[in-house]
Amino acid sequence: MTTVFLKREVARRVFAKELMSSTYTIRDESEKSPLYVLTPLGLKCNRVFIIGVLTEKEERGEDGNIYRIRVIDQTGSFIGYVGKYQPEAYEALEDIDTLTLVALTAKVRVFEGETGKFVTLRPETISIADPESRDYWVMETAVQSLERIREMKKGESETAKLAMEVYNTDLEEYKRVVKEAVERVMEDYGEFDVEEEMLEEEEEEEELELNEDEDLSFEEEEIDLTELLKD
Amino acid sequence: MDRVEKLAEQIFEDYKDYGVDRREIVEKLKKLLIEFRVPENEALRTIRNYIIREYGAPATIRREKITKIEEIKEPNKWVTVKAKVIQLWESSSPSIAQVGLIGDETGYIRFLVWTKAKKPPVEEGKSYIFRNVVVDDFGGVLRLNVTKISEIEEIDEDIKVKPPEDVSEEVEVVGALVAIQQNSGLIQRCSVEGCNRVIKMGKCPEHGKTKPKDDLRIKGVLDDGYRTYEVIINEEGVKALTGIDLEKAKKIAEETLDRNAVLIELKKMLLGKYLRVVGTATPRYLIARHVEFFKPDIRKEIEKVRALLEEV
Ligand SMILES: [Zn+2]
Repeated sequence: MTTVFLKREVARRVFAKELMSSTYTIRDESEKSPLYVLTPLGLKCNRVFIIGVLTEKEERGEDGNIYRIRVIDQTGSFIGYVGKYQPEAYEALEDIDTLTLVALTAKVRVFEGETGKFVTLRPETISIADPESRDYWVMETAVQSLERIREMKKGESETAKLAMEVYNTDLEEYKRVVKEAVERVMEDYGEFDVEEEMLEEEEEEEELELNEDEDLSFEEEEIDLTELLKD
Repeated sequence: MDRVEKLAEQIFEDYKDYGVDRREIVEKLKKLLIEFRVPENEALRTIRNYIIREYGAPATIRREKITKIEEIKEPNKWVTVKAKVIQLWESSSPSIAQVGLIGDETGYIRFLVWTKAKKPPVEEGKSYIFRNVVVDDFGGVLRLNVTKISEIEEIDEDIKVKPPEDVSEEVEVVGALVAIQQNSGLIQRCSVEGCNRVIKMGKCPEHGKTKPKDDLRIKGVLDDGYRTYEVIINEEGVKALTGIDLEKAKKIAEETLDRNAVLIELKKMLLGKYLRVVGTATPRYLIARHVEFFKPDIRKEIEKVRALLEEV
C-alpha cells in the first residue's frame, strides 16, 4: 500500500497575456473537481509553471507577512501573493532579489474585486532560473499556446467553444503576441534580422504596456489578502 | 466459419443459457437464408422469436460491449470493462473509497471508486465486470471512475493480465521538476535482508523497529505542461545532478545537526529546473536510470514554433 498523488494537476505553460486576461472560472462535472480558470484560448488550468523576471517584491499584510510579487514574461506581468502559509516559497523568496530571473510553480487563484474578477498566483515553489531555461520556457509556452489557438480555430472541443463564447477571443491578436514573444528570444540566437519589424515591435510594446496599466488598475483596490492564501 | 455459422454462433451465445440447440439454429438459419432467400435481419428476427416462444427466453437479452483497456484512449467516455484488480493503493481522501490499478490481457489502467458511489469493496487478485464507468484525465493519466450509476460484478473467470514486464517501458522525458516530496533527501531504509523499505517515523511498515541504513534519493514531480510524472531519482542520479552523494549528504546532516538540511539544499538546487530523464515508466513511477539538466537546442525549438505559426 502506497499513497498516491490523487490530485496532481498539470502545471500549464501559459503567457501572462493569456492568463491575466482570464476572468471565467469553471469546474469539471466530476465530484470534487477543483476550480479552474478558463483562459481566452480555452485552457482550463489551476496550476502553472512560469519563468520570468521578478520585478517587484513588496511586503504586505498586517504584519508584513505576505509578499506581493510581480513576475514579467515576454507578454506582460503576473501578480502573485506569497504568505507564510507556503513556507517553502516564502523562505525561498526571502533570499531572492528583484530583477532576478525566477522559475515558479503556482496555483492559480481568481479574486473577485469591485472592478471585476482577476487572476493572481499563489506560488508553491520559487527558485532562481537561468537564461537558457527561460528561452526554453518561452519556446514550449509558444508551442502550447499555438496548439491552443489551433484548437480554438477548429472550435470542436467544449472548452474552446466556451472560451469563444465567453471572451470572443481575437485569435490573430494572440498569434501576434506569441510571435513577438518568440522573436524577442530569437534575437539572441541570430535568427532575427528584419529591421523594419524591430521598429514595429517597439511601437507595439509601448502600446501593450499602456493597456496593461489600465488592465491592472485593480491593484490599487484594497483586498483581503488572506482569502487568496486559502487552499 | 461461414456466414450462416457465424450468425448462428451469435444467437447461440445469446441464448445458450436457455437450453437451445446449436444444430437446430444452424438448420433453421440455412433454410431461411439459403432456401427461402430472406434478408438476414428478417431471418434473425424469425429465429429469435422462435426461441422466445419455444424456450421461454426473455424478449431482450442484454448484450454488453466490453471495452478492452488498450482501447481506452480518451476521457469523458462511458465504458464497461472486464478486469482484474492488480493493486489497491491507499486513498488519501475521504471522498475516495478505493483507488488502484486494474488490468486485462491488453493493458492496465488506474481506477477509483468514489465513496458516494457506495459500492462493496473490490479485492486485489479478483476479477470483475466494471459497468458504466467513466474515463477521466488526471494530470495526463487516464482513470476509470466508479460512480453511483456504475455497477461492479465479481466474476469467476481469472483474467490473464498482461505480464508486468510488458507494462513498464523505456522512456525519455523532458520536464520541469515542479515538486520534491518530503520523503526525499537523506532517508533511512530497513536493513532486513531483501526489504529495503523506507522507514517512516522510526519504523519499517513491515518489520517495525529495525536497524536503519541511510540512503539518498529524490521523489518528485516532473511536469512537461501536458502531464506529470512521479519521478524517482536514486543516489547516483542525485550525485550526477548536484555533486552530493550519500557521504556528502551525511556530512551535511552532521554539520548542521539536521537531516532535513540535505533536502533543503536539494530543493534549492533542483526545483524549477528542466531535467532530462531516461528511465523506466511503470504505471505509477518514472524510475530514472539516467538524469541530467536539460540542455535545450533553442534553434530546434524555434523551428517547431515557426512550423506551428505557419499552420495556424
Ligand atoms: Zn523492513
